[in-house]
Amino acid sequence: MDIFVLTLISGIFVAAASGLVGSFLILRRMALMSDALSHVALPGIALGLVFHFAPIWGGLLFLFFGITLIWLVENKTKLATESVTGVMFVTALAIGALMIPEQDLLEAFFGSVTKLNVLQIGLQTIIALAIIVFILAYLRRLTLFSIAPDLSASLKVSSFKMQFVLLVLIALTITIGISFVGVLLMSALIIIPAAAARNIAKSFNGFLAVSVALAVFALASGLLIGEVYDLNPGIMTVMMSAGLFVVSLFWRGAALKHR
Amino acid sequence: MENQKIIGVKNLSVTLDGRKIIEGISFGLDSRQVLAVVGPNGAGKSMLLKTLVGINKRYSGEISFAPGVKIGYLPQRFHVDFYLPMTVEEFLNLKPDHKYSLKEVLGLVGIPDAWLAQNLATFSSGQLQKILLAWAIVDQPQLLLFDEPTENVDIVSEESIYDLLHELQDRLGISIIIVSHDLDVVYKYADTVLCLNERMVCYGEPITALTNQTLSELYGNHAFFHHHHVGGHHHEENHEILNSQ
Repeated sequence: MDIFVLTLISGIFVAAASGLVGSFLILRRMALMSDALSHVALPGIALGLVFHFAPIWGGLLFLFFGITLIWLVENKTKLATESVTGVMFVTALAIGALMIPEQDLLEAFFGSVTKLNVLQIGLQTIIALAIIVFILAYLRRLTLFSIAPDLSASLKVSSFKMQFVLLVLIALTITIGISFVGVLLMSALIIIPAAAARNIAKSFNGFLAVSVALAVFALASGLLIGEVYDLNPGIMTVMMSAGLFVVSLFWRGAALKHR
Repeated sequence: MENQKIIGVKNLSVTLDGRKIIEGISFGLDSRQVLAVVGPNGAGKSMLLKTLVGINKRYSGEISFAPGVKIGYLPQRFHVDFYLPMTVEEFLNLKPDHKYSLKEVLGLVGIPDAWLAQNLATFSSGQLQKILLAWAIVDQPQLLLFDEPTENVDIVSEESIYDLLHELQDRLGISIIIVSHDLDVVYKYADTVLCLNERMVCYGEPITALTNQTLSELYGNHAFFHHHHVGGHHHEENHEILNSQ
């Protein structure tokens, strides 16, 4: 099969996972944190480029380092998580940018979907499927923890564990999405569809479904536009989802007036 | 055989970050009884409930429950994000182990069925509290922990929630621990009162436990409590007790 078709199929699963994970990040008000976190992948990607292994593994390694740090800072110290994330992750971005050869930098920042090989496409599809299955299996717990941590804890669900699970989900989602939209734009794939879905949805199931649908639509159309007009597909994906967000604002405005 | 306590607490202390929140309190509660916990702001009342329900795990002392006791918990603050897209039905279904059908539980707390399809964000805080109560009892708990809200609940809905709790206690035979700022509630509904101001200032039947001396020790020498948020709403006797300080 044509590599572009494979990429497109894989992208649909990756986008679906992003839409789901993004919904919980929006509820937990972790949107900006995930943005900062995606930058921490850059030094790992740099290692991959310098030592010639698939950059996403380096990215994954550094993301796990990043989420462990966030988790420890939140639970074991009195430091303000926001400032620590801000400082650490901008530093990571700078270090990564320093290590990556200049001609590769743009691809690391904005995605390099054309460089994917079949093995990588297969792996990220499997990871995306695992994320989706996991979230659907633990939907009730994840939802309750995201909207009412106290109620969740009163049912003997460990907040520490839930928080770590969410962070792992974010790290995995960033890892599989980076090749499509790059380090700088990754949060757009996770956050924008969910933010737009929240403007439109009237129920929680609707919220999740719309978020997934918008993410899939944005990534698939971004890839297609990129392919047809020879533009960067990552940038096109973000433009598409930003457009969808603007539409959702008008939708919400009309719905509120109607009420 | 000794009457089985639904909950027994021995010498419970909570210290967080080197600050004593609760110091050495002991009490017990029989089934079908109401215990009211009163005390000034920051006295450790909410922390006591959080510790009993297992949200706070850092404590010393002993908390024991009768075997198989299930706890329902209503937190003081249940903030619903205005943008949260979730219907009442979806919210109630987040609780595992339903023992009542949704219709039954709505009937118990006096919520019309039409609310099920409505969005959580459209309800007032008084209405949300009823929804939260439905959430708390849908799995048929034997013990209900109720942390009274301090803000944004108007007096009418505040009164009706206590009547509701009282009715539920009668009909379902549950025990209740209420954290309250309102002595009216204590006199009207509680079998036992526990005065908490870091340590236990009084404990016993409201009429005998709430003496001038304990109230003064609890709230200090001014009746700020009375001005707090429901001024003019207390029984005459409470006014006298508080104003005579």
